[in-house]
Amino acid sequence: MSDNIFEIGTDNIDVTKIVDEIRMSVEKKTRDGLFVDSRISRAEKLNLPNLKDDESFMTFYLECLKDAIIVDISDFEITERRSGMGFFLVPVKRLIWKFLKFYTYRLWSQQNQSNGLLLSAIESMNTQYKKKISQLEERLATIEKQNK
Amino acid sequence: MGKAEHIVFVCPRFPEGPTVGGAETLLKHLAQLALESGRKVSFLTTCARNHFTWDNEIPAGNKNIDGIDVHFFPVDNRDTCTFLTVQDKICKGKVISEKEELLWINNSVNSTPLYTHLREHSAEYDKIVTGPYLFGIIHEVSRIAPEKTVLVPCLHDEPYAYLKIFNKMFNSVSGFMFNTHPEEELAIHMHGISRHKKTVVGIGISPFNTDKNGFKKRTGLSSPYIIYSGRREVMKGTPLILDYLAAFRARTGIDLKFVITGTGEMEIPRNIKNHVIDLGFVSEDLKHEAMAGAVAFCHPSIYESLGIVILESWMALTPVIVHANSTVLRYQCQQSNGGLWFRTYTEFEEELLLLINNQPLAQKMAESGRKYVLREYTKDAVKSRMMRFLDDN
Repeated sequence: MSDNIFEIGTDNIDVTKIVDEIRMSVEKKTRDGLFVDSRISRAEKLNLPNLKDDESFMTFYLECLKDAIIVDISDFEITERRSGMGFFLVPVKRLIWKFLKFYTYRLWSQQNQSNGLLLSAIESMNTQYKKKISQLEERLATIEKQNK
Repeated sequence: MGKAEHIVFVCPRFPEGPTVGGAETLLKHLAQLALESGRKVSFLTTCARNHFTWDNEIPAGNKNIDGIDVHFFPVDNRDTCTFLTVQDKICKGKVISEKEELLWINNSVNSTPLYTHLREHSAEYDKIVTGPYLFGIIHEVSRIAPEKTVLVPCLHDEPYAYLKIFNKMFNSVSGFMFNTHPEEELAIHMHGISRHKKTVVGIGISPFNTDKNGFKKRTGLSSPYIIYSGRREVMKGTPLILDYLAAFRARTGIDLKFVITGTGEMEIPRNIKNHVIDLGFVSEDLKHEAMAGAVAFCHPSIYESLGIVILESWMALTPVIVHANSTVLRYQCQQSNGGLWFRTYTEFEEELLLLINNQPLAQKMAESGRKYVLREYTKDAVKSRMMRFLDDN
């Protein structure tokens, strides 16, 4: 595999090989967390085959949900792109942010708490059902074996 | 069997003007090739243009279109409520009785005057070529003279294809003309027709050359764009491409546009409205010009028996990106080395970035695609495959 897929050569091209290389590159980037992005999960909502039967897709959805679930209410660097106005606008923006934070902090922290609890509930349900299904499958296999 | 002197083609719609549909285009194309081979050709169809409403928009009667004797018949009244109720069960994978299957097909698109005409004149026709498999008309026509009926099923792996009524239909007709080998294999696997007479025919594409920058010059578009041509429907995957476009733009920062041609309603999300260029129904020349300037032709549908637009795209020297779950489109890409396939957004993003950033590779893939079309899908090759089959069987 090429270190960089964009350097794939043009001699005797084999698209199956190219797709395989792309899949390996995607797997690596996924492992590195480069694709944990709520925008991707939104884009996948209409991908019919994945909605049907890919178990790993549920895991992927949950990863993206984890990434997007907390509303970021921390302080951040406030800047002004028009350099001449910066000396005036930056303090004004900081003041507005302080007021906004003062009034919305309680609201957002409660929202974050409930989002976090919902995510934990979904994850726990997912784990429980997976376990239950696998137990049922085992029981079914045993019963089928006995009936043979 | 003797030479098929008089061939009748039967299809639910006749492609003229904004009536767009791959199967309809294919049947008309095959009729034209039969005509070019010096055979007498008739075409039976309905007065409908819209494949959602099936309203009788075209006056009933005969018309000579491009040398083909076309007979338009009105669509019967139907109970759409019953049709949709059963259809919903089929789509959800519920087991339904044969009685319900018949209820569904009888309330699908039917035309009693067309059946009467065919019954009265079937002796005049040497071969009845009909398709796609899914409609009431095809189901009924296949029962009128099965011994001379050749089905062009345009089959794909979807819930309807597993119905018992279609299994009976596939096993009753005299032969099959498939679009690709994967479609043939699917039909054998699904309906056990390994002993039936069959062949792979496909569609003939006329060679054309197009200016790669023509569309950009015409529209003043300076950004790179992807393109899709055809019907816009959830089942065709067009909303998926819109969602992918939004994610691609947001994640990569590339000002990618989406050019779309064809008919059907399409709800464009507000955040990408300014980046989608909807041309609607356009001339073949304009469509090819738009295809030629694109980074890639994107075909997100998983229900295809032949990608005609993909073949056109290769002819316009543009590589393609298709959904990996479409066995046929993936097969075409593998056979031609002219396209890539994706399962998820992440693969789509990588593939599109590859085609944008590696122009020599994109060019090479497009050239491979064009060579494939010129080798397998010339009109002469298709004509000879079809006429040999119809005359010999």
